[in-house]
Amino acid sequence: MSETTVEAPVPAADERDSRWTRLGRRTVRPPIYAEHQYLVVIGFVVLVALVAPHIATSRSKQFLIDLWLVYAIAGIGFYWVFALAGRFAFCQTFMMTLGGFMSAWVTRSGHGKPFLLGVASAIAITSLLAFVVGIIARRSQELYFAIATLAVTSIGADVFNHWDAFSGRNGTVTNVASPKLFGHAFLKDKQVFWLFLGALTIVLLLAVLIERSPFRRDAIASRDNLLVARLTGVAAGRHQLVLFILGSALGGLSGSMYAHWAGNVSTGTFGIDLAIGIFLMLFLGGVGSMWGPVLGAAFYVAIPQVLSNIQKYSSIVYGALLLVVVMALPRGLVGLAQDGSRVVKDQVRKARRKDIVDVAG
Amino acid sequence: MEKFVALLASGIALGAVLAVAAFGFLLLYKATGVINFAHGDLITLGGYVALWAIVDIGLPSVLGYLLALVIMFGVGVLIERIAYAPLRRRPPMSVVIATLAAAIVIRGLIAVWQGSTPKSLPTPVGNRTVHIFGAPVSQQRIVIIVISAIAVVALLLAFQRTAFGRQLRALAADPETAKLQGVRTRLIAVVAFGLSALLAGLAGILVSPLASLDLDFGFSLMISAFAAAVLGGFGSLGGVVLGAVVIGLVQQLLGGYVFTTYQTTLPFVLMLAVLAVRPQGLIVLKRSRL
Repeated sequence: MSETTVEAPVPAADERDSRWTRLGRRTVRPPIYAEHQYLVVIGFVVLVALVAPHIATSRSKQFLIDLWLVYAIAGIGFYWVFALAGRFAFCQTFMMTLGGFMSAWVTRSGHGKPFLLGVASAIAITSLLAFVVGIIARRSQELYFAIATLAVTSIGADVFNHWDAFSGRNGTVTNVASPKLFGHAFLKDKQVFWLFLGALTIVLLLAVLIERSPFRRDAIASRDNLLVARLTGVAAGRHQLVLFILGSALGGLSGSMYAHWAGNVSTGTFGIDLAIGIFLMLFLGGVGSMWGPVLGAAFYVAIPQVLSNIQKYSSIVYGALLLVVVMALPRGLVGLAQDGSRVVKDQVRKARRKDIVDVAG
Repeated sequence: MEKFVALLASGIALGAVLAVAAFGFLLLYKATGVINFAHGDLITLGGYVALWAIVDIGLPSVLGYLLALVIMFGVGVLIERIAYAPLRRRPPMSVVIATLAAAIVIRGLIAVWQGSTPKSLPTPVGNRTVHIFGAPVSQQRIVIIVISAIAVVALLLAFQRTAFGRQLRALAADPETAKLQGVRTRLIAVVAFGLSALLAGLAGILVSPLASLDLDFGFSLMISAFAAAVLGGFGSLGGVVLGAVVIGLVQQLLGGYVFTTYQTTLPFVLMLAVLAVRPQGLIVLKRSRL
């Protein structure tokens, strides 16, 4: 995408009078810029920074908040892969596991590399693997891709269980070094929270960058109609591959962060429940927005807390909830909020018009 | 030689079970366009229901198996009613997500009902063995091969000779035209879900006496069955049977002689290789769609 010219937006019919006539006099900006997404991210982070310490009244609550941040990062990655690229990938939890093991391996006592290098290596290895898998499965669409990534996940689990030198005995690595940045160690959940919030901020800013780019539009075009997108000159395969790599890299980042925080990682840490849980996060939050997985992840970690006596039935509740969401809320909570705000705006606009008419009449 | 015969027998038996399992979800895919990710958990459920019928109710094992199959048919119909019928007009992706939801619900229900300790399903042949060319072969494997062969042949005949089979093939070949010709898609969907779950249950019942029954039991079987379907070109039922036997033999022979540590990984590697080189599958039968 070398050209930077921006097409004139076509405003909705009822806005046309006010905006279209004035077009000549002002710079044309894509409508999405009007959403002030960077400001929203900053506002969100500040809000979390202010509110979270008040919610975290106990250790378990602080743990859940940190877990939310970890899952939100993996969820945004999955949003890129599943929602933007339309790739039905089953390997996000595997990427998290791989990221965790890689980071643990790089920073283990024998190698003694710093925390940041561990995280970077986790991102690098998951990107590389996603590239390879993406190339192998480049011609597999939809469900074939799902099956291929399911196979990758199964192969990965087998390898982790057998490769003691890398992923420990029985696929478990313990005593992973705690996060350390510029000589400052993050030992307690409360300290780790700030580190994770910082990571999430960077990820959110990156996500906004993608949300505002023509790249997103092209990716969605490829997702919705591959043939037409290709015929109009969109490099559909490359878009899907790039988003798959980026999304998997976030999985690696998230897994690596978790491993250093929890101090251990095993093949069961990000198991099949979480694999389906990530779908739940995305669908519950909403597939149409980068905020969907962030919101969904919050609900995902909060549900067992709110319904504390369902621990035994948690997976049944998750499954039933996923079913209900798919049926009743196809656009998730974010979609619900968008619908709500649109209704409010419409009402306001109608009321205003009525006022004008009243005055004029 | 003995080792070869033993591995060959277990390879064919594995292939036979995979063929039954793969038939189940391919049947559903052909009839409704849905890939059912709950298939693996239905396989597990089949094993547990049979266990319940035999151990808890105390039925003789063959009767218990039959009861389990009937119940599994009912479970399939139930899934159709809850997770598929309300989503009929939605994009296929929603239905796939619904099957994922069904998978996790079934898994959760089994965990609550039966606990997570591995169990083993009794079989009328026990753990007796026969000797073929001096190699000990578990009688259960012979049972698996015979029953699977009967089931597969019966299904193939049913698809060719019955009205249901014709309608199903019409739906698979061209859904729009089939609907215009008056094929009762709703009824077929119900029956296909039931039959698919029944076949999953059959696969589970056949193989669980050889392995210990736990929550993850059906999952790997499902992925291997996917591999068989991909190998067979995801279209023809005949191709799937071939694909299943190839997967079974590769896993047992190649895994038994060369890659002993990564035996269970082989089907997945094979499947990835096929997807990379020939996404349309190795065996493509030109004529028959089903």
